[in-house]
Amino acid sequence: MSAVSSWVSETFVRDATERRIFATLGLITVLLVGGVFAGVIGPRFLLFQIALVGMYALLSLGLNVQWGYAGLINFSVAAFWGIGAYCAALLTAPNSPLGLGLHPVFGFLAAIVVSAFIAVLIGIPTLRLREDYLAIASLGLAEVIRAIILNERQWTAGSSGISGIPNLMSWLPLTDAATTAAIVVVLIAVVYLFLRRVHRSPWGRVLRTIRSDEDLAKALGKDTYRFKMQAFVIGSVIMAVAGAFYAHLNLYIDPSDLVPLTTFYIWIAVILGGTGSNRGAVVGAAVVIAIREGTRFLNDIGFIQTLGIDLAPLRLLFVGGLIILIMRFRQDGLLPPKDELIWPAARDGSGADGAPASGAASDGGTASNGGDDR
Amino acid sequence: MTNRALDVAGVDSGYGEVQVLRDLTLHLESDEIVCIIGPNGAGKSTVLKTVFGLLKPWTGSVELSGRDITGEEPEDLVRVGMGYVPQVDNVFSSLTIDENLKMGGVARSEGLQARIDELYDQFSILDEKRSAKARTLSGGQRQVLAFARALVMEPEVLLIDEPSAGLAPNIVQSVFEDVKTVNELGTAVLMVEQNAREGLGISDRGYVLDQGTVAYEGDADGLLDDPEVSRLYMGGADYEGE
Amino acid sequence: MNDDAYEGAHLGKSDVVLKTTDLEKAFGGLVATDSVSIEVDRGTITGMIGPNGAGKSTLFNLISGFYENDAGHVTVNGEEVTDLEPHERARKGLVRTFQTPRRLEGMSVREAMLVGPGPQKGESIFSLFFSGSDVTEEERTNIEQTRELLERFEIGHLIDQPSTDLSGGQMKLVELARAFTTNPDILLLDEPVAGVNPTLANDIKRFIRELNEEGQTFLIIEHDMPFIMDLADPIIVLDQGKVLMEGSPDEVRADDRVIEAYLGGAGP
Repeated sequence: MSAVSSWVSETFVRDATERRIFATLGLITVLLVGGVFAGVIGPRFLLFQIALVGMYALLSLGLNVQWGYAGLINFSVAAFWGIGAYCAALLTAPNSPLGLGLHPVFGFLAAIVVSAFIAVLIGIPTLRLREDYLAIASLGLAEVIRAIILNERQWTAGSSGISGIPNLMSWLPLTDAATTAAIVVVLIAVVYLFLRRVHRSPWGRVLRTIRSDEDLAKALGKDTYRFKMQAFVIGSVIMAVAGAFYAHLNLYIDPSDLVPLTTFYIWIAVILGGTGSNRGAVVGAAVVIAIREGTRFLNDIGFIQTLGIDLAPLRLLFVGGLIILIMRFRQDGLLPPKDELIWPAARDGSGADGAPASGAASDGGTASNGGDDR
Repeated sequence: MTNRALDVAGVDSGYGEVQVLRDLTLHLESDEIVCIIGPNGAGKSTVLKTVFGLLKPWTGSVELSGRDITGEEPEDLVRVGMGYVPQVDNVFSSLTIDENLKMGGVARSEGLQARIDELYDQFSILDEKRSAKARTLSGGQRQVLAFARALVMEPEVLLIDEPSAGLAPNIVQSVFEDVKTVNELGTAVLMVEQNAREGLGISDRGYVLDQGTVAYEGDADGLLDDPEVSRLYMGGADYEGE
Repeated sequence: MNDDAYEGAHLGKSDVVLKTTDLEKAFGGLVATDSVSIEVDRGTITGMIGPNGAGKSTLFNLISGFYENDAGHVTVNGEEVTDLEPHERARKGLVRTFQTPRRLEGMSVREAMLVGPGPQKGESIFSLFFSGSDVTEEERTNIEQTRELLERFEIGHLIDQPSTDLSGGQMKLVELARAFTTNPDILLLDEPVAGVNPTLANDIKRFIRELNEEGQTFLIIEHDMPFIMDLADPIIVLDQGKVLMEGSPDEVRADDRVIEAYLGGAGP
């Protein structure tokens, strides 16, 4: 138990403010669960929200690799998400224009391959140049993708959208809603652990150097183009996986979600949560969804209706207000990155107490790694 | 005793926590051209910035014609007889010559047009190109405009930071001629120059700055012939200031 | 750094570590570098001086690949590097520092130092998952070498500090140490003591000398005359984009042309 709690304190809760933040999150969770038991919140609805938060968390994790790790400005988050969603929908929905009705696994695989390909395509002309060029090119890409999906009805069904997307793993003895929520939690865990390993490593270190000062990295012999391309592709693939997942969550997609506003929400999530921090990306996503869905949900409560306020249009106001508060009181975001980017297994001289075999070192350090936290 | 145009006494200053000037003392008479020279990093530009109020002195005093102006803001100093020509970005490139001169007189309450006309008389090249945008001017012409712009306020003291910087060698001569003209029109000039020979060539006196303090001073002619000055530049000097 | 390996690696390498031939660079109409040919011999601390605007920084940028030359060649250890990117030149042994110390946001001194050695196994994502133990071993070695080098430079106590907390001078020392961990054939130092307090500047001079005595070649731009005159031999003097002369400190100090260049009046 003490190994677990020290892993928790090393990984999740690093100082007093963070304790407060997690306490608040914990409280909200308790309230939500209580709401379910009180009959105020439907369990299906809550699980759907959890799955939605999970999807946004994946998108934020993806953007965090590009922007937080490498300093790449990518304004086409929604586009890569859309690519993933449409790959999944087109391949798995029986009545899609392709009508293949394949198993969801193929949807995910296609999402990964296609998004990686397009990321490389965009990266080749832009990553050797100043960051503005990627920003501009990605904006253009976002609109091009959206326009193609909207207009090439023969391939994508255009604005009619694609429905009848199958659920994931319906053979499990849980409800569909619970299964989907569980799947996204697993996806997030896998992505999170993957990212943690590559971040706290020489690779992660070079990326952070590139972010701060690319010329310095070059002067030390690092092929910065290669590193940036890797970060860009990894981030884009994660975003596409989030999109594919969303197709199986919502069971319906159309181009209306591929708007810049979606990209904007993810940027907010990453910055609010703490640029460069994976925990921050997840928490930031939760906050953004809470505001977005919360304003929608609260509108349905009788009490608010009697007041005659429509909360939905106010959500951007809330988001803006939150940004101002964060910038004023906690500039680096809610959970800013604190890790030293050093390969964990190499930290302690000997083969650290309690740690598994070196080389396959897990991402939790041990209590002896006092040097981690700053 | 006539007031000196400018009197700087015992000034320390610097950027943030980094001290650049140490016990700096120099003066300028009302009819002089004085040139500050010295090796790179000696703090020459910092002297002008401190006198003009862009940097505040940590200790010491600055007096303009007998009046204490230590720590005053540049925009106030412009109104009481001090002008400043920075090394770079010293004209508004998107404005015409005429507009630049008018900008120079923003703080002037009256007689602006008459004064501008006087300057056109003195510097005919500006007159010829009144409506040309400043960015179309050559380096030398741009410097003339920068001087004239500062002269609109009829300053007693003009601070000039490296007038010949970045200019082709054949233009350097004419720019220094223009500095002499400025002086002849009745303004005392305190100038910083990288090109010690040319700068001292038109000056009455000079100061050699090293590591933020005056290492040598004297009549302009004598300074350049002093072998100590050459040694200072080449890193072998050994004077009391160290 | 393993001295034996260093010595052995240089068997069979030429005496001239760095050579430029007729290097040219113009910006618009302004010629910044005018047919510059220099040679730096192995084992020397070669200085480069010249008045403002002489083209020293431009030359450094041309040599290290950050500027593209209009004409001419650069060779390292006899090998042509003129068409190589900066990072490729660094791999060939040509490593430079920058004039303004670049603080790395959010990185400790240790992390900042660890970026130096390379190429590192852990820089490949594949290795992070399939050669974990190799990565661990290399990282451990690098961590230890970093610690030793910082101790040697008498700033070992700063190793855990955020690099943004260091003074300019301390950061320059870190940058010198980090550049050294790349195991370079030649280290180009761009004004290593600009804005550094005299005590620290003396330390930097001492460490450069020590590294040089162990075989490290340096090419150093500096404005601080006493510093460079005491440290470097030979010294190359640049003026208006051209090489004015080259010689020992005494020769340079006594040369009228050099004095003229600094005092101005060196006409076309």
